[in-house]
Amino acid sequence: MTERGPEPSDAKATYVFAVCRNPDPAVVAGLPGVTDEAAVGTLPLGTLTAIVQPVRAGDFTDEAWQARLSDQRELERYARAHHEVVAAAAACCPTVPLPMATLYHGEERAREALAREADRFHAALGRIAHHAEWGVKVYAPACPPNDTDRTPNRRTTPADRSRPAPGAGLAYLDRKRGLQERRERRQDEALRTAEAVDAEVRGLATASRRLRPHGPQAAGDRRVQILNATYLVAEHRADEFALLARTLRKRTGADIELSGPWVPYSFVGEV
Amino acid sequence: MADVDFRQGAYPVSGPGTTNLADILERVLDKGIVIAGDIKIDLLDIELLTIRLRLFVASVDTAKKAGIDWWETDPALSSRAARSALQDENRELRERLKALESRTDDESAPAAAKEDRGT
Repeated sequence: MTERGPEPSDAKATYVFAVCRNPDPAVVAGLPGVTDEAAVGTLPLGTLTAIVQPVRAGDFTDEAWQARLSDQRELERYARAHHEVVAAAAACCPTVPLPMATLYHGEERAREALAREADRFHAALGRIAHHAEWGVKVYAPACPPNDTDRTPNRRTTPADRSRPAPGAGLAYLDRKRGLQERRERRQDEALRTAEAVDAEVRGLATASRRLRPHGPQAAGDRRVQILNATYLVAEHRADEFALLARTLRKRTGADIELSGPWVPYSFVGEV
Repeated sequence: MADVDFRQGAYPVSGPGTTNLADILERVLDKGIVIAGDIKIDLLDIELLTIRLRLFVASVDTAKKAGIDWWETDPALSSRAARSALQDENRELRERLKALESRTDDESAPAAAKEDRGT
C-alpha cells in the first residue's frame, strides 16, 4: 500500500451509489445518503446517470472505514443509507447498484471511470429489466422432540449408576449409534430438501445464485439454515413465485423465508 | 434509521421496506457491479478493490453478529497468498517430519541389530 502525504481535511471525494437510466433527480435529492454535509445528486454520464454524493475524503479513508465498520451500529447505518439511495433510484428507473464504499477522487474522476464502463452498465440494465431479486432462505424442519430428549437419561437412578446392568454398555453404544444415524438421516433429508427447493425455484427464475448459509445467529436464532439463495425473477412471475414458496413450505415442512423484491444486486455483475 | 416505503412505480424493485441487516449487508457489501481491477478507482491511491477487501476484514466481527460469515470460506475473499503460505509451511513441515522419522529409523535399526547380536 502506498503511503500518502497529508491530505487537506476538506478534500472532496465522490461516493457513487448506483448508475441509472433517466432518473428523476427529485427522487434522490431529499435522501440523507452517507453524510449530512452535502445532498445526494445526479451526475450525467452520456445516456446514463450516476447517483452520487460529495463527501469529505478524510471521512472515507481506509482507516476511517475500518474504524467505522468495527462498530455494528455504524456498519448498519452506512449499509442502510447506501441501500436506501439505491432502492429509491430503482423505484423510479432502471438502476444498477454499485457496492458500498465506491469512491472516486471527485466528480470528474467518477465520470471518467464510470463512462468507460458504459457497456457493462447497459448490459446489466438489459439483464435486469423488469426483474426483481428475491432471497430464499430455507431452515431445516425442527427435529421431533422425542428424538434426542428421551433416550439418554432413561434409567439413571443412583443404583443404576453404581451397578450397571449387564449389557448396559452395549445398550448405551446402540443408543448412541441410533442417535448418530438419526442425525445423519436428518441432515441428508435437510440437504435433499434444500436441493429440491432450489431446483423448483430455479425453474421459475431467470437466474439464480447460491449464497453461503448463515451460521447460527448470535441473536439466538437456533434454526439451522440449509439454503441461502437468491433468484432473479421476472416481474410478471412474482405471484407464481410466492405461490410456489407457499406450496413448497407445505410440502416439505421446512421453514422457507422469502425476502424481496430487491433491486437485483446479485445479478448485475459478471454472472 | 427509518425504513422508507418507496412509491411503487413502474419499477417495483425498491427492496423490502423492513429488512434485516444480514440481507442488506449480503447485498451492499458483496454485490452490485464492481468497477475495479485495471482502472485505479482510487481514493488517496488505494484501489477500490483493496478498500473492499479491507472493509470485509474490518466488518467480520460485526457482520458475524448479524449472522453472516460467508467470506470465511470464500476463496475470493481469503487471500491466496495466505493460503499458499500455509501450503508451503505444510509441505516444509512434512519434509521435516519425514527427515526426522527416517533419522530415528536409522538410529533405532542399528540398535536393534546390536541387541539381536547380544542375545
